[in-house]
Amino acid sequence: MAINLAGGGATVRKVRRARLIPLWALILGALVMALIGTSPHYAGTDSYVVGLIGKFLCFAIFALSVDLIWGFAGILSLGQAVYFGIGAYMVALSMKLNYTLENATRYGGNIPDFMEWNGLTEVPGFMAPLLSTPVAVALALAIPTLLAFIFGVITFKRHIYGVYCAVITLAEALILERFIVEYQAYTGGFNGITDYSNLRGAPFLWVIIAVTVVCFLGARVLTHSRIGTVLKSIRDNDVRAEFMGYNVANYRIFVFCISAFMAAGAGAMYAAWVGIVSFLDTGPLLSVEAVIWTAVGGRATIIGPFIGAFLIRGLEFVLSGLDIELAGRSIAEYWQIFMGALFIAVVLWIPDGIVGTIGNWVRKRGTGTLGQIREDQDRLAHDRQHDWDPAGATKPGEERV
Amino acid sequence: MLQQLFMQSLNGLGVAGILVIAAAGLAIIFGVAGVINMAHGQFIMVGAYVAAYVDSQGGSMFLAIPLAFIVVAILGLVVERGVIQWIYDRPLETLLATWGVGIIIEVIMKFIFGTLGQKVGWPDLLDGSIKIFARPPHFPYYRVFHVALAIAIMAVTFYIIYRTNFGLKVRAVRRNRSMAGCLGIDTAKIDMLIFMYGSGLAGIAGAVIAPIKAATIDMGFSYAVSSYMVIVLGGVGNLLGIPTGSFLIGEGETLLAFRYNTVIGQLLVFLAIVIAIRVFPRGIFGYQERR
Amino acid sequence: MALLEIKGLTTEVSGYKIIDNLDFSVEANELRVLLGPNGAGKTTLIAMITGQFKPTAGKIFFDGKDITGRAPDEIFLAGISRKFQVPNMYETLSVYDNVMISLQTDRKVFKYMFKRVSPAENERIWEILEFIELADRANDPADTMSHGERQWLEMGMLIGSNPKLLLLDEPTTGMTEQGKQRTAQLIEKIAKSHTVLLVEHDMHVVRRLGKKVTVLHQGKLLAEGPLAEVVENEMVKAVYLGKGRH
Repeated sequence: MAINLAGGGATVRKVRRARLIPLWALILGALVMALIGTSPHYAGTDSYVVGLIGKFLCFAIFALSVDLIWGFAGILSLGQAVYFGIGAYMVALSMKLNYTLENATRYGGNIPDFMEWNGLTEVPGFMAPLLSTPVAVALALAIPTLLAFIFGVITFKRHIYGVYCAVITLAEALILERFIVEYQAYTGGFNGITDYSNLRGAPFLWVIIAVTVVCFLGARVLTHSRIGTVLKSIRDNDVRAEFMGYNVANYRIFVFCISAFMAAGAGAMYAAWVGIVSFLDTGPLLSVEAVIWTAVGGRATIIGPFIGAFLIRGLEFVLSGLDIELAGRSIAEYWQIFMGALFIAVVLWIPDGIVGTIGNWVRKRGTGTLGQIREDQDRLAHDRQHDWDPAGATKPGEERV
Repeated sequence: MLQQLFMQSLNGLGVAGILVIAAAGLAIIFGVAGVINMAHGQFIMVGAYVAAYVDSQGGSMFLAIPLAFIVVAILGLVVERGVIQWIYDRPLETLLATWGVGIIIEVIMKFIFGTLGQKVGWPDLLDGSIKIFARPPHFPYYRVFHVALAIAIMAVTFYIIYRTNFGLKVRAVRRNRSMAGCLGIDTAKIDMLIFMYGSGLAGIAGAVIAPIKAATIDMGFSYAVSSYMVIVLGGVGNLLGIPTGSFLIGEGETLLAFRYNTVIGQLLVFLAIVIAIRVFPRGIFGYQERR
Repeated sequence: MALLEIKGLTTEVSGYKIIDNLDFSVEANELRVLLGPNGAGKTTLIAMITGQFKPTAGKIFFDGKDITGRAPDEIFLAGISRKFQVPNMYETLSVYDNVMISLQTDRKVFKYMFKRVSPAENERIWEILEFIELADRANDPADTMSHGERQWLEMGMLIGSNPKLLLLDEPTTGMTEQGKQRTAQLIEKIAKSHTVLLVEHDMHVVRRLGKKVTVLHQGKLLAEGPLAEVVENEMVKAVYLGKGRH
């Protein structure tokens, strides 16, 4: 039996890699741009649709940040809204402070109304830096990233992940939410921060679109580069990665910080665009929702979170707006049941999400199911090596100890 | 001052009692089946509404407690058979699916009972308080009741897990699922029964909490999160983790809330937990890593 | 000094000594086979060397450095690669990527961040893939591989990391005789340029490799020497090889 260990040498040395910017993404992007550009809604920049697009894009970036850690590194955080929310609050506070400097409140003060209600007479010293917009934006991005870093060092260095990480992050979000409600003199409490001049309109929409494109490309570069492969290897088998000399904790911290940075950016733009932030934007609810957007769209794909966020938020918008009655109740009340059912359905039946399922389907059409591939190739391997026999039967007369 | 501190720590004990009742079910399910039920808060809420219903029909709380156990255990059975049994091997996705279950339960309860909270009365037996010191605050009977019930629940659970045949199977499944399966233990059935039992305990928690907080749709969530923290801090390697975690969190939050305020109390306890897991990555009573 | 030196290594789990005051060493460029019945402490010893578990007492020296109780990734970087008993790889990554991950390079996050696969590295990956005869499957995800192919892929990953010492924990488990022979051939080839510590049950393979053998029994060193000598050792016969039949 001749076994050639030197290798055939006849193989084609070609690595299949996805293109950095897939053609369909370019076409889709151009189409969306054209749609927005030519839309009659676009002329009236106050239009509801334009408002929704900006908002959804922020949510999409947020979902992408969840996807980066969950889909590509296997960390499920149910408190990602903490970073989104802190980013949003920093910007909202800054805008509100600046707004009230020029527009006095009903009581004639030049400090935000919620501070007035709570008996403050001037802006507290520690908030003064927020008056400067660049400082506020820098803080909005830096504080969440720093928090994520600290959180990552504490947990990932001690091999805390999986379910434990999920519930700890959930508690984190809940506590921040309560903190904001409790310290209403500084945060606007239950009502949130409202009534400041938002940036909704054409110029800022282009900023959001530009940031979205940058995030999309950034995530694509990150996940398709060599370090992305390492992240995926950690997701698949962290023990193996550690025995391969990778400091798994450091890689997790790294991607967690990037994700927090992205979430904070989304939050900052969201606050500037929508013109109202509340404690709900930092809480567990939004965090879990973002995970669901990602799950519906497709985990471990870049476009999935975008599709998920737009689809679910869009559905929510359409369904809650419908004026249909069912069994004496408006359909808006059933909306949440639909959401709950969707959560379950996605986990049970389409765990790969929309994009992932379509991807599987395309692959199946091309080459057969994964199971078939495995069978075929096992047969091939068998033909080639004549030794693949799971039963491992000893041939008669062979020496065995 | 010292008197106050003493009374507060007694109160903390009462809070810890509620936490034990709320977390026990969750911890047992997590310990055996490895899934965390995100609808735990809603299970507690259903238990509270059962108590509210019993109360509105003139029944006593002592009737409400077993009834809540049964109703929520059946709810748990439905959820386990309908959703969770398919995804035991994907614990992270169980979180999402059970979150969805929680939303559905919430909406259904809203349809039935409306959004307004429902007050639940005390049994006369638990009215009044022990007058340890001449001046108030006194130590109310219901706190004593919470602690007593918590001890009773832990005792029953200990008995079931360590003294019965069923408990032996449960421990076998927990240690080595596939091996237990090979030895003829129906692991799926064990999972199901444990899930029912854990859910039932959540129902009891709801029935007990209802008189202090009134039954509202969103009452359960914060108890559920506290229960998760009990698991993280106490660990599920040993049943003792539940009372230990509950005691530390209950006392910590009560005393810090007394010194500062509730939110600061929760925040500090949370930070303490996060720091504690650096020392005990799987909780104080977590599985010991093989050395 | 030997490449790997273990001195007085002891591991206790709840009073039971899995490894009991073991002294053991492997010279550079040696192919050493570790034998022993189930529960002799072979896998525990491997886990100890790679930093998965920490010993109760004793020291492990590698290449003159004390590596006792270090983290797995540090020990890997010191030059010890481990093949797990059960094939252990990154299921969703392609075969190519699996090998790429294992290549020797600076693994610090920020150093790694801007790294691309250089032509030299690409060449090396293909060499390894051809060496383990998986080149034509380079783009398939690892979870479509059969059991035997996974074992070879994992060995390819180990070669890629270019370690000073390879720990192979029962690489032929679950293979047929021909698969075992082929794996043995692969090990021989690897051993030409690397130091290998091989845990093996199958005497067929051990015989073929026929080098120096160490027998463990209940955490203690029972016998050490060339295979032929060890096989004749009465104690070894008694505890491991059975009564006369081998």
